[in-house]
Amino acid sequence: MAPQPYSKKRKALTRDSPEADEVLLSDGGDDFEIALLNGIQSQSEDDRDEEDEDASSDLFGGDSDLEDEGGSEDEIVSDEVPSDEEGDLADVKQNDTATFRATEGNDGVERPPPNHKITEDANGNPRYIYTEIDPVYDSDDSDAPPTQNTIGNIPLSFYDSYPHIGYDINGKKIARPAKGEALDALLDSIEVPKGWTGLTDPATGEPLELSQQELEILRRIQMNEVPDEGYDPYPATVEYFTGKTETMPLSAAPEPKRRWIPSKHESKRVMKIVRAIREGKILPYKPPREETEDELEVRRYDIWANELARPDHPMNVPAPKLPPPGYEQSYHPPPEYLPDQNEKKAWEDTDEEERNQEFLPTSHDALRKVPGYEKFLKERFERCLDLYLAPRVRRSKLNIDPESLLPQLPSLEELRPFPTTCATLFRGHDGRVRSLAVDPSGVWLASGGDDGTVRVWELLTGRQIWSVKLGTEDAVNVVRWRPSTEAIILSVAVGEDVYLLVPPVGDPEIETKGREVLDAGWGYAANGATSNAKKEPATQWTRPGVRLEEEGVLVKFSLRKTVKVISWHRRGEYFSTVCPQAQSSAVAIHTISKHLTQLPFRKLKGLAQSASFHPSKPIFLVATQRYIRSYDLSKQELLKIIQPGARWISSFDVHPGGDNLIVGTYDRRLLWHDLDLSVRPFKVLRYHSKAIRAVKFHQGGLPLFADASDDGSLQIFHGKVVGDMMENATIVPLKVLRGHTVKKELGVLDLDWHPTQPWLVSAGADGTCRLWT
Amino acid sequence: MATETIIASANGMATPDPPSQVRVQLSTRHPDISLPENPGPILVNTNLRRYALSTLVNTLLQSEKPIPFEFLINGTFLRTSLDEYLTANGISAETTLAVEYVRAIIPPLYLASFEHDDWVSAVDVLSETSPAGKWAGSAGARMLGQERILSGSYDGLLRVWSMSSEVLVTSPSAGSGGHTSSIKAAKYISPSHVASAGLDRTIRLWKYSEDSEASNASLSPQIELYGHKASIDSLAVHQPSSRILSASADHSLGLWSTRKFDAPAAPTSLLPSATSRSSKRRKTGTSTSTPQRGPLSVLKSHTAPVSDTIFAPNDHTVAYSTSWDHSLKTWDLPTSTCVDTRSTSHSLLSLTALSSLSLLVAGTSARHITLIDPRASATTVSAMTLRGHTNAVVSLAADPESNYGLVSGSHDGTCRVWDVRSSRSEKEGRVGESLYVVERESLKGEGKKVGGEGVKVFGVAWDKGVGIVSGGEDKRVQVNRGKGVISEKAA
Repeated sequence: MAPQPYSKKRKALTRDSPEADEVLLSDGGDDFEIALLNGIQSQSEDDRDEEDEDASSDLFGGDSDLEDEGGSEDEIVSDEVPSDEEGDLADVKQNDTATFRATEGNDGVERPPPNHKITEDANGNPRYIYTEIDPVYDSDDSDAPPTQNTIGNIPLSFYDSYPHIGYDINGKKIARPAKGEALDALLDSIEVPKGWTGLTDPATGEPLELSQQELEILRRIQMNEVPDEGYDPYPATVEYFTGKTETMPLSAAPEPKRRWIPSKHESKRVMKIVRAIREGKILPYKPPREETEDELEVRRYDIWANELARPDHPMNVPAPKLPPPGYEQSYHPPPEYLPDQNEKKAWEDTDEEERNQEFLPTSHDALRKVPGYEKFLKERFERCLDLYLAPRVRRSKLNIDPESLLPQLPSLEELRPFPTTCATLFRGHDGRVRSLAVDPSGVWLASGGDDGTVRVWELLTGRQIWSVKLGTEDAVNVVRWRPSTEAIILSVAVGEDVYLLVPPVGDPEIETKGREVLDAGWGYAANGATSNAKKEPATQWTRPGVRLEEEGVLVKFSLRKTVKVISWHRRGEYFSTVCPQAQSSAVAIHTISKHLTQLPFRKLKGLAQSASFHPSKPIFLVATQRYIRSYDLSKQELLKIIQPGARWISSFDVHPGGDNLIVGTYDRRLLWHDLDLSVRPFKVLRYHSKAIRAVKFHQGGLPLFADASDDGSLQIFHGKVVGDMMENATIVPLKVLRGHTVKKELGVLDLDWHPTQPWLVSAGADGTCRLWT
Repeated sequence: MATETIIASANGMATPDPPSQVRVQLSTRHPDISLPENPGPILVNTNLRRYALSTLVNTLLQSEKPIPFEFLINGTFLRTSLDEYLTANGISAETTLAVEYVRAIIPPLYLASFEHDDWVSAVDVLSETSPAGKWAGSAGARMLGQERILSGSYDGLLRVWSMSSEVLVTSPSAGSGGHTSSIKAAKYISPSHVASAGLDRTIRLWKYSEDSEASNASLSPQIELYGHKASIDSLAVHQPSSRILSASADHSLGLWSTRKFDAPAAPTSLLPSATSRSSKRRKTGTSTSTPQRGPLSVLKSHTAPVSDTIFAPNDHTVAYSTSWDHSLKTWDLPTSTCVDTRSTSHSLLSLTALSSLSLLVAGTSARHITLIDPRASATTVSAMTLRGHTNAVVSLAADPESNYGLVSGSHDGTCRVWDVRSSRSEKEGRVGESLYVVERESLKGEGKKVGGEGVKVFGVAWDKGVGIVSGGEDKRVQVNRGKGVISEKAA
């Protein structure tokens, strides 16, 4: 019954407010007042609405800074507000008319002359025929209603004592409208039956009167309320069913049994199903198999599935990001990025693998005209491959001046002299030249080769002075001069034989001396044979025969295997030979003065390759394939095993100082050993592309050494050894001497230094010897 | 006509298009061709070349017969136009160029080859102007065209050639008193005497005679000199004092007399008969009775084979020698002592003297020629280096006509003609370049040989009349001569 006071109040308003301002604005019509009041009422409601909408539009306006479109919509909304108002106004007008009708019957007193005639229609009902409306121009002018009262802007209280309240435009008095008391008196005087409608009930023909209940229902309908008076739309909730255990339950009935006893019927049905399942009549539900990836035979791996963001760590290299797209990747690149005809053609002509750009920049007018990128999948795939397969290693950069890392090598100019060019060719040997040696005086060069001849040359001019043929089938493997300028003796190994000869190149005195040296042992050999009868000598030294003796070949003895190496003791009294194929008797030491051959090793580990006397101490060095053993000759014991780490030693040479050793190997390495430092190489020089055949130190005081290789080149090194132990040897590669041609995989087979000059001689497989100065 | 225009331009007269001109100051070291009055700086066109400049100098000299001149600017011979020279050397045309003009050395053109049986190791020339001819004086005077060329060969034979490439005489073979091994050095002592030495460690003196038509010449052994223990590589002779110097590979020098009577007896141990064995030598032993003599003295100080020796040009009591031990030694012969040693950094293989400059020229195994001032006052060992050879320089001869020229023979198969005035300063001293390169005629058409194989030059001699005579591994004596020298002389 809440709306009730409101309508009462409204009624009271309509009844109790014939006040001054209403009088002022209307020309005394009651309906006008009501219309005005209604208008005010509705206007106030509209105001409230407008305020709400203003607030909301304010909110939107606040948002409008953020969202333009929303803002515009807001504006639209606010534009629509007046139209709503118009709608409201239209409602108000309807209300007005409704009120007018409703109030029509109420005021019979000051009703204006009716603008209609009531006639009888065919049914006998009254028919209203309205007069034509005269469309006077100012009849509708509601904007500025013509002022009826002309008294001007003076207080109305001035007319309180008069029956009129002013004058109209024609000077006639405007009568004071009737006061409330007068109206009330009038209304009270008119007796209107309760429920009078002024309508005729068509069924009875009597005037239709509404009872109080009917009026109340009408009012409720008009107020949008439920017409039934007793109906409460919002009854209080009564919770009949609740989880809470009520202390006072609504029902006192005991709990039914079924609540706690399982249903027999159900268990029967379940058992039926169970049996059916057991018997296999019902197959349990299996989810329909999806087409798994395995069946598609495509195995996919997401290698980054478990990738977690790892902390920054040197070992964790995140995937490199793709470079951001450039102008040429734009759909509408600037014209300078577009390829011209030639570039396009060049791009199309190049192999797909070799293009430095995957695509050609193409210009499109609009983004929607860009076609699909056909290489997209391939590009993604390759990117994945790059990420997955390309090793990602953090490269550590050293902030070191590279110059400082290089060893401080002396300049080549300071290291002169060393041989640089070929000065003389010694041509004459038929077939390979296997060995050569410069005589101790430095004037002659002896060489021996595959043709079985030994030749002696004038070193500087290349003139062959003398030659002797020693082997018919066997090649001359080694030629070595006896290290003495007093007597010129040449030792030659031809096959299994060793010859000692005196080439007639020196003067008679020297030649005689050489003969004497060689002849001295004959008597001893005879004596020794008698004294040591039970010990079988290793070999017998013999005279080679008259023909050879005339040539200057004086002594011959034979070892049982091919002699590959001869090396002399510095005094010229002893020399050693090496026959690598002879197992235990590989190394032999020969005494010139006694014509005696000794086999110092009863058993030798490995195949002997080379042997050499120490230049100053009574030490003998023997190289097997992998190791070099040094023996003390006086104490007859093993001193040291030098391990060059090579697979197959070809030759070695001892520095004239005695503390350093160079080793050449068939596995292309040249190794420098410091004997005091370690048994391991001090320096490994790996500059040759093929096996190294020979290595030699310069014996005449120059800090030079050289190696000869099968690749046809010789390499000259500066190898300076300082006397004190604190400083390491300086090794500087100086020069590669090329000139020998490689024949049948063989290049330079032997080399020798001039005893005093920085000159080098080399023996090549091409049948020439060369002097390098 | 050309002369006129040059003079015109030289006098700075108007030329239609003035090309750039440069001021030159002409000078010479030779008084006989010096300008009569110093003309001062002359303005010449920069487009002039050697020939035009030569014409200009001839005009200035007012010489009747034009003398070809060469022009040295800053130690370089002018080979291009002046303009190109200035551009190449970055010299402004406004500076005054000091131009030295010298008599041109005519490019030595190939004249003849004398074929041998074996390598030619030594050559010498006998002519009017050769040392032997000079010593002989009028007695040995030879007419022009009657020069003789002596060649020693590796086959142990000496040959005397006439200029018409005829062998006048060949020395006897080993069996009849000749060399038993290769000859390494041969020299004329006088028109009738020849000295030779070689690998057989002997020096042999020969008497040479020929009749007037040169149809019947003979070379007979006179003396055998024993004393060296190794190959004798070089000889120097001085006829007025009858002395011979020999350089041997046994590290010693020998001083010998050419006369039998003042030479000591030969050391018996070195005689070929001293060897007990050697039936071969016994067979080839001396059947003739050539007198055998020994050295006056043996100069031992070198520590390596001595490669070359010469008498001092002006003093026959002083000798110079070069050796493989890098040193050049000065010897006082009367006392047989070494008075001075100059050490270089390379083995020295040949020696000659430039007397007027008091310089010694030594060829080295390191492919260059070093000029050494042997005087005690000299501060540096090497006064100048001549570079250009590609192999050891084993023979040298001075230009007989110029104080500044020399020729060198090298194992690279070329002879090079040098002028020591043409030099420039480099960081290691003054360096010269060769004027001309004389290649072996036998090599023509073929490329350069590695190591001078087959074309090595072993001996070279330069005579005023004959020209440059060189012998080598190609078994030839080759004669080259600057054309026009003869015609100039004839005029």
